[in-house]
Amino acid sequence: MNGYLSVVRKEIVHLRRDMTTLVMALLLPLIQVMLYGYAIDFDVRHIKTVVVDQDRSRESREYVRKLRATQYLDPDLTAASESDAAHLVQINDVKVAVIIPPGFSRTANPQVGVLIDGSDSQVATRARMAFTSAGSSEGVQARANVLFNPNMRTATFMIPGLIGLLMQMITVSLTSFSLVREREQGTLEQLMVSPIGRLGLMLGKLTPYAGVALFEFALILMFGYFLFDVSVAGSLLGLIVLSTPFILANLALGLLISTFAQNQAQALQFAMLTLMPSVLMSGFIFPRDTMPGAIYLISQVLPLTHYLNIVRGVIVRGEGFFDLLPSAGVLLLISSLLILVSTRRFRKSLA
Amino acid sequence: MRAGGGQGGGASCPQIDSAKEGTVVSAIEIQSLTRKFGDFTAVDSLTLDVAKGSIFGFLGPNGSGKSTVIRMLCGLLEPTSGDAKVNGFDVVKESEKVKRSIGYMSQAFSLYRDLTVRENLDFFGGVYGLKGTHLNERRDKVVELVGLHPYLDRRAGQLSGGWKQRLALAASLIHEPDLVFLDEPTAGIDPVARRDLWDLLFQLAGEGKTLFVTTHYMDEAERCSDIAYIYLSKLMVRGTPAELKALPEVSPPHTRRFAIAVDPPARGLMALRGQPQILDATLVESEIHLLVPENVDLPRVKKALDGLHVGEFRPIEPSLEDVFVTLTRRIASQ
Repeated sequence: MNGYLSVVRKEIVHLRRDMTTLVMALLLPLIQVMLYGYAIDFDVRHIKTVVVDQDRSRESREYVRKLRATQYLDPDLTAASESDAAHLVQINDVKVAVIIPPGFSRTANPQVGVLIDGSDSQVATRARMAFTSAGSSEGVQARANVLFNPNMRTATFMIPGLIGLLMQMITVSLTSFSLVREREQGTLEQLMVSPIGRLGLMLGKLTPYAGVALFEFALILMFGYFLFDVSVAGSLLGLIVLSTPFILANLALGLLISTFAQNQAQALQFAMLTLMPSVLMSGFIFPRDTMPGAIYLISQVLPLTHYLNIVRGVIVRGEGFFDLLPSAGVLLLISSLLILVSTRRFRKSLA
Repeated sequence: MRAGGGQGGGASCPQIDSAKEGTVVSAIEIQSLTRKFGDFTAVDSLTLDVAKGSIFGFLGPNGSGKSTVIRMLCGLLEPTSGDAKVNGFDVVKESEKVKRSIGYMSQAFSLYRDLTVRENLDFFGGVYGLKGTHLNERRDKVVELVGLHPYLDRRAGQLSGGWKQRLALAASLIHEPDLVFLDEPTAGIDPVARRDLWDLLFQLAGEGKTLFVTTHYMDEAERCSDIAYIYLSKLMVRGTPAELKALPEVSPPHTRRFAIAVDPPARGLMALRGQPQILDATLVESEIHLLVPENVDLPRVKKALDGLHVGEFRPIEPSLEDVFVTLTRRIASQ
């Protein structure tokens, strides 16, 4: 721990001196919050749909054909009863169930029952639109029943995910930059001829960035609350405690990158490289349930995957601290592995 | 050629009063130190002894293994075989103690450019465990030594080359090391700053510090109390500058050295190299340095230069450059 406090103090001065980088690092994520929250719309098509046709008439078949024609719904599956269909929605990647009641073709104002899985707001919104457009010409009324996230708000889905993604982005890049810069400028060598402890140096460097990450965490949370009306359903303190293993994993990842990258440009590319799978495979945007086996396995290794479970669990579903401990445990496991590998590589990369 | 000998080299340099210590003790003892990188041997069984209080010039062409030796002595790199003791501490087993007792000033400026002079010094002081009033005292001391007062609150990156090196020197001295490694401390700074830095080094040596300096400048090598020259990973020669110039390989018995100004010098050099009486001819600035037998027929030599503007023969001592060029050629021709 030799020199820990000196390094912490020095890093804080570095951060203060390079305000541009810090402000950009903090501001860019907020811009992304705005983009994801307001502007970006996911064009979801071909939603798996199960049909319960209790009327079995020409009209009911025509209605299903029209649903298919919207391209949003793929009514390929059929079920015998409403409860069977509901069960499919619950356990499978089937997102929508359409129940056409008997007598559908004989009433003047035909109605259908619809079950929508609202946990993914994009899917749910699209599904709703499909029913509106398919039914408008014949006056078919769809009584939709959204099972989770009843208001189907994108923000409720996106903001918690963004907290994870953006914290990963700034901690990984800032940490790796800070270390690579020491190597680039030759200051690392000057440090290594001093009696500074490796642990003191590492922790001293990581502490301020953990602080920055927590600050960003609070910032996005406030943004979410004031602009998008997303509040924390569960315990805020619990969320902070459960976030630390995730921050730890990202700092270690930054450290690992710094042992590969020779300069800051390379570090940036490596950071981007870790970001891509996190965006695409963690469930941040695309549901993981539909991923093919190999991809699903990779997604299990990503810290963000497990953190999304925690952050969405606490903020959206109000899950308790102890229910989420397994996810935190996996994160701790990933971080210890990363720290082990990166400190070992770091030692080598000095020589 | 002597390798690994030369005890008490520091005593022969007038600027240094190492005798006040009573007995001259070694600051560095190196025994058959070897470092291999794969098949490549970067340092080949180096044995060397550096006396306390000396300004030790560690010379050699680029890639000869100088930096590798320094890295091993500073505990940054483990030797493949052999032993080295720095300030009495084993560089492998007691590397922490070694690090506390040495200062290191690297070739490239390696302090934080975005930190001020004061912040840099405070940081490195803190790294060595100095704090509070002791740290302040030490900082004031080194600032006074190198004369950095006016720039205390300036960012290190905004200092000129010479001042940067002074700051680096100050930082390497903040924890009062007995021994300071200086890896090409004057590379890339202007002549005045170079002279000033060397004045500082003499002052430090006068205070009893041992300075282990690498350089490519021969005039700087001349100022060292003791010199080791390594070539192709091996120690080629060591001794005081005077001892090296007197080496029989450099100054064979019954030979003399002359300098002669010739214009154009390159044509003169070509004409002279063919002459039977010329043992060696080298171009140094606008003059040609000649190694000739004692009984040389100078007018005959001059005849070979007919048609060129020729000055007078001037007897000279071999320079350190002559020493290294001669020795290096001998090895290359073997």
